[in-house]
Amino acid sequence: MAYEITVLTSMSIAILFALSLNLITGFCGQVSLGHAAFFGIGAYTAAFLTKAGLSLVFALIPAALMAGLIGILVGIASLRVRHDFLAITTMGVGFLFVGLVRKQDALGGEIGISGIPSVAFGRPGILALSLVCTILFILLLVHIRRSWMGFAFESIADDEDTARILGINVPRFKLFAFVIGTATAGVAGALYAHHIRFIGPDSFGFVESVTVLAMVIVGGIGSIWGVVFAAGVLSVMPLWLQFVDDYKLLIYGVLVFSTMRFAPEGIAGLARMIQSRWFDK
Amino acid sequence: MTLLSVENVSMHFGGVVAVEHVSLTVRENQLLGFIGPNGAGKTTLMHIITGILRPQKGRVIFRGKDLTRWPIHLRVRFGLALAQQIVRPLKSLSLTDNVALAAGLQNTGNPLKAFLKSDRTKEREKSRELLEFVGLGDVASSMPSQLPLGYIKRLEIARALALKPQLLLLDEPLAGLNQKEAEGVADLISSLVTHQCSVLIIEHNIREITRICPEIYVQNNGHRLLQGSTDQVMASPELRQAYLGRGTS
Repeated sequence: MAYEITVLTSMSIAILFALSLNLITGFCGQVSLGHAAFFGIGAYTAAFLTKAGLSLVFALIPAALMAGLIGILVGIASLRVRHDFLAITTMGVGFLFVGLVRKQDALGGEIGISGIPSVAFGRPGILALSLVCTILFILLLVHIRRSWMGFAFESIADDEDTARILGINVPRFKLFAFVIGTATAGVAGALYAHHIRFIGPDSFGFVESVTVLAMVIVGGIGSIWGVVFAAGVLSVMPLWLQFVDDYKLLIYGVLVFSTMRFAPEGIAGLARMIQSRWFDK
Repeated sequence: MTLLSVENVSMHFGGVVAVEHVSLTVRENQLLGFIGPNGAGKTTLMHIITGILRPQKGRVIFRGKDLTRWPIHLRVRFGLALAQQIVRPLKSLSLTDNVALAAGLQNTGNPLKAFLKSDRTKEREKSRELLEFVGLGDVASSMPSQLPLGYIKRLEIARALALKPQLLLLDEPLAGLNQKEAEGVADLISSLVTHQCSVLIIEHNIREITRICPEIYVQNNGHRLLQGSTDQVMASPELRQAYLGRGTS
């Protein structure tokens, strides 16, 4: 049972992390290649606070606030650039985070932080907390998709210049998506730190940012359920199949390439195609 | 009564003079044609009015306010609307939703307000009304990619009208259309003034612009050439010189 709980917790955290990027990249069209940095900020913030005696449930809030606050600063600085420039800028932020953590002894340096306390009720407790956070965020995304905010995001993702001439304050909406997305990545990071109970700079590097982007692309950029499915499957595959873990980057690379080449709308697009061909008659 | 007043505006791109000391006024409920040969600086001036470009000199006064430093979205919320030369429908949205997004201007003022509001019924109704008005009622649920250019030009106009503008700026709305389509869109534009909205229209199709506009403004090489009634402007030797060169008047 302990193994199943571990797998489900990993899956739930990966889904939350992927959905947080999906809000920025999928809903609002802003490609981020440094999202793992915000995952890391949440992880480090919560780890320090729980080691100081705070309960994880309460540490999630400062973890989200810290990641969201850094998200605001990065967003203000980078969201005025677009497309590939934004991707490169956010990639720089990711490198900056890892570089900074590596050189700070107070943050554990290269060695990282170990001995992160367990939560109340142990592994089932962290699973329950992860599931609650993930379900709440899915409900939030479903609401955003239906609201005028989702409508505005969709127009920005489609064509920023046209959104502007329709009276939409594009930088403000982009910043809003970025802040919610980075704060949620912070929550996912906090959960991850208390699930693994050890964190180091390598857990939040460029590879992690690309991995989570792969989950969003394979699931279907902008699709909630597609990303839930892709993040769920891709996060547990390395746990179930050793060769997937050994060749993770290669397999993710092939998946992203195949998706972009043959099914740009990802699993969600394929599901829609199958539904329209076979069931909508 | 003056609605828009562009005062002594200049815009240079490096050493190239796009617009130099240009002034222009548009009155309430006026349909003003804006013509000039290629390179006259027409689109540059239009972009200065909408805020896509900021002039190095001069001011843009609209409804008594100096908008020169205002961002695009605030100008739109203050009563300016633009239909662009190169049509840019939102490809992921149906025609109805393209127009409904514009009709819901009050819902997209800030992210928090947008987050709290979900209902789109009223805006979709308004959208269908406007699509009907521009002759797209039958294809309201289609996606823009399924329709020809003439339809998309009409969509741009419907979308701009949904913003309830006091001044509608149209940048070459007839470009790329055949004569029959151009006539249809021109007739539609001439009917817009009855919507209590002024229209400033850039166009190369002289036949249609002289047919629908009672007054015309002419620009050449970034300078104001003349403004007056259509008959006066068309009879002026300066206009012929601008289009055909010296010695043709």
